[in-house]
Amino acid sequence: MATSGLVVAHKRSKQTANASVTTVVVMRLYVAGRAPNSVKAIANLEAICREYLKDAYKLEIVDVCEHPRRALDDGVLVTPSLAKLSPKPSANVIGNLSDTSSVLAALGLTPALA
Amino acid sequence: MLDAPDKSQAAFTQWVRRLVTGAAELKAFDAGEIDAVMDRDSGSAVLLPEAQSALHDSNRIALSALDALPGEVCVLDSNGVVIMTNKAWRVAGAAHERSGLDVRAGENIFEACRDVPESERECAAEVSEGLRQVLTRMRQSLNCRYVCNAARTRPMCTFTIAGVASEGPVAAIVTREWNSESPQAKKTPSPATRRSSKNSPLLQTVAQNHLLASLPAADFARMASGFEPVELTYGKVLYEPGDPMDAVYFPGNSLVSLLTLVEGHRALEVGLVGREGMIGARLALGAATSSVRALVQGTGTAVRMSSARFLKEFRRSPALQRALFRFTDTLMIQISQTAACNRFHIVEARLARWLLMTAERMASSEFHLTHEFLADMLGVRREGVTVAASALQQRKLISYRRGDITIVDTPGLEAASCSCYRYVQSQGAARMSRS
Repeated sequence: MATSGLVVAHKRSKQTANASVTTVVVMRLYVAGRAPNSVKAIANLEAICREYLKDAYKLEIVDVCEHPRRALDDGVLVTPSLAKLSPKPSANVIGNLSDTSSVLAALGLTPALA
Repeated sequence: MLDAPDKSQAAFTQWVRRLVTGAAELKAFDAGEIDAVMDRDSGSAVLLPEAQSALHDSNRIALSALDALPGEVCVLDSNGVVIMTNKAWRVAGAAHERSGLDVRAGENIFEACRDVPESERECAAEVSEGLRQVLTRMRQSLNCRYVCNAARTRPMCTFTIAGVASEGPVAAIVTREWNSESPQAKKTPSPATRRSSKNSPLLQTVAQNHLLASLPAADFARMASGFEPVELTYGKVLYEPGDPMDAVYFPGNSLVSLLTLVEGHRALEVGLVGREGMIGARLALGAATSSVRALVQGTGTAVRMSSARFLKEFRRSPALQRALFRFTDTLMIQISQTAACNRFHIVEARLARWLLMTAERMASSEFHLTHEFLADMLGVRREGVTVAASALQQRKLISYRRGDITIVDTPGLEAASCSCYRYVQSQGAARMSRS
């Protein structure tokens, strides 16, 4: 898939930036091309990021059909699979990410806090 | 990717499930939320049946979309092996007796380049070398002209070879465009290509010029004695405003800018003419002097004809009249759009448009020019060009070094250009297809 290996970096724009420093959540999503669960996972994650992280996140999408070695080296067993890399602690969510609360928990966010 | 073993889908899914370890993974697997499982032994991803059929469907749609394109497209892998060709490629290849490197799926284009007839060796070597550079990331894209001596009609085509960027080995997309192609041209060989004296500079230039190549053989034969092959060199002024036009020029691979001079200001480019047209078309409209400065900005070949002879031929040949009116109309669209563009669009977008127009007319993605020259073309100060060129370079759309410009990313540059480029291009194409 075309987005494989692409780093989509969303930087804070001038309008949303304020004096406080906000941490940027760095994530990597492993998908299998345009397979149904992978497409759903991307859409679900992007919706969550839009709502809860605004533009304070970095998302890399890795297509395991094109880069199986990378997935194996990163210890990924199944796709779709989301890895939160930063800030620590790191966490994983398996599946099409339709369960928003488990994604938020893995990202260290709760609906109440976010 | 591993293919599914020959088992029923359910059995296959169960077979794949054994590869899954970990509670969270198994839970998602059983919930049907998994597309693929990594297989450590084979080092690849094993797709589950639903994912396989979805990917197969999307590939099928992509292939159908490629087939639906009117242009001729051939996709190569990193070794030059043809992965696929689209329908237009196959149909046109058959119509041209499979000349023009008409490779098919599974064939290797490098081998095809080696196996061409003697007379095509030079062109084929150029394609082969260009492709090698693209596949080794030395270049992003290039155009190659190709004269097919093998076919009865000896047509000419232009190959555009572009690398397909990915993290792994580079693949390439080759598009093929037949020059001077018309239904009549298929039946009667074009005047430029039917001559037996091959490789004559005059005939090569004539074949490159779309306007001349569109003429019927009889008209061309009558005009031929009035043609004189010339080389137009960069910086040469063909006419100044007010100069009598004593000759007309049909560019082959040269490129001529039409500049308007306004007192107290820099010259401003209002039109750009290459192989699609001619310089001096105004004669046919009854004018005797030039209204613009015609300045050569791309060194190359052209065919010259005296004005007296041109007017005589123009009166005699309805085909020449039609071709000329068609070109003049396209040029007027270009000039009026350029006028609006110069007023409304930012320098960076205009520079992108200008580079694309130049590349298209010169059939090359590399050319030499200075900031000074570009400033004249765009009617801005030199500093403005420097800023715009640096911006395009930073976006990795062009590379610019000491006046040598290379278009690195044509689609990117198209996206960066203003809408005028696509508008003029679409109007020109629509005009040609109606005629």
